[in-house]
Amino acid sequence: MRFLLVLLPALMFTVEAQTPATSVKKVSDAKVAPGSNAAVASFKESGSPTAPVTMELYTDYECPACRSFSLEVMPDVIKDFVATGKVRLIHRDFRLPQHQFTKLATRYANAAGEIGKFDLVAHQIFMTQPDWSQNGNVDAAVAKVLAPADLEKIRALVKTDSHLDDTAARDEAVGTNQDHLTQTPTIVIVAKGKREVIAGGMPYSILKIYLDQKLAQ
Amino acid sequence: MKRWLLIAGRLTIAGIFLYAGYEKVREPWLQFAVSVESFKAVPDSWIQPIARILPWSEVALGFALLTGILTRWFALIATLLLGLFLGVGIRAYALGLTVDCGCFGVGNSGAIDAKWFAEHAAMLSLGLAVTIGGFLMARSPRKVVLATGTEELPDPA
Repeated sequence: MRFLLVLLPALMFTVEAQTPATSVKKVSDAKVAPGSNAAVASFKESGSPTAPVTMELYTDYECPACRSFSLEVMPDVIKDFVATGKVRLIHRDFRLPQHQFTKLATRYANAAGEIGKFDLVAHQIFMTQPDWSQNGNVDAAVAKVLAPADLEKIRALVKTDSHLDDTAARDEAVGTNQDHLTQTPTIVIVAKGKREVIAGGMPYSILKIYLDQKLAQ
Repeated sequence: MKRWLLIAGRLTIAGIFLYAGYEKVREPWLQFAVSVESFKAVPDSWIQPIARILPWSEVALGFALLTGILTRWFALIATLLLGLFLGVGIRAYALGLTVDCGCFGVGNSGAIDAKWFAEHAAMLSLGLAVTIGGFLMARSPRKVVLATGTEELPDPA
């Protein structure tokens, strides 16, 4: 009887562990859908396209935890992993409905991407989040880091480009349907065709260990 | 009757630990590391070992409780762990930290609130009851081995 008590759950656990995780929500053994990468705007990608590990970062510009992660953790990730060709980084928008000005901030960032200033403007939007999240004046925050001519181009795109939200909408579709996002920031580590979704921010020291482990596999 | 209550309590705790451990083991360890880190209770260098070892320890403890071998000692370990979890939860709440406890894996764990405290207090109470019951049974003149229902002579010690 005692033997059965031990054996049955152990057997069930072993079978479950060996089964491809098709039913597991957060870790999928399935190959990454080709469309998910093709749908990313080129300005949201950085690092070597042949890097063995891809890190997709979902953020909302008005989310304070995304601000901390982007300003405190990502610079080290970019320096140690992206710039060295080990990791390909993809930024993905995931605008949370409870944030009043995030759509506007996302439009500014993506408009800046259209003229090759995405990194600069996205960084500035996160830096100044405590200000514009109070009054919605994203324009004033962005104006501080752009030349007048670039600012005018971005303003025109924000005002008139009806397709500016398309890239964010595609990111959100991937986040909702494929990665089942529940919060931001969320990172997706893609290595050897496996997507691992990690919800929540983390210190660089822990993320570094994890990325090193993925690269060593 | 007491014996069956103890068995039921032991199996309940075993199920809780097996479920909690399994839900975490099947996720990348980094996910549980995020939860551990959010409590701000240990140095960064401890986070990875905890995130990798604790889920498997919960699974092992669940199996141990399921078998009924050394019940009172494994129940004691489970109770101490539950007490520790409740303690770090109280600390996080007192510090005003926003944490996702990660107790039953991502998506199955909520923030630390009244419901969380009630659940953990109930689990701790159950663990205490099984531990105390297990020790009392072991000290009684006719010691009962919970898993098999067989009886043994009193322990001379």
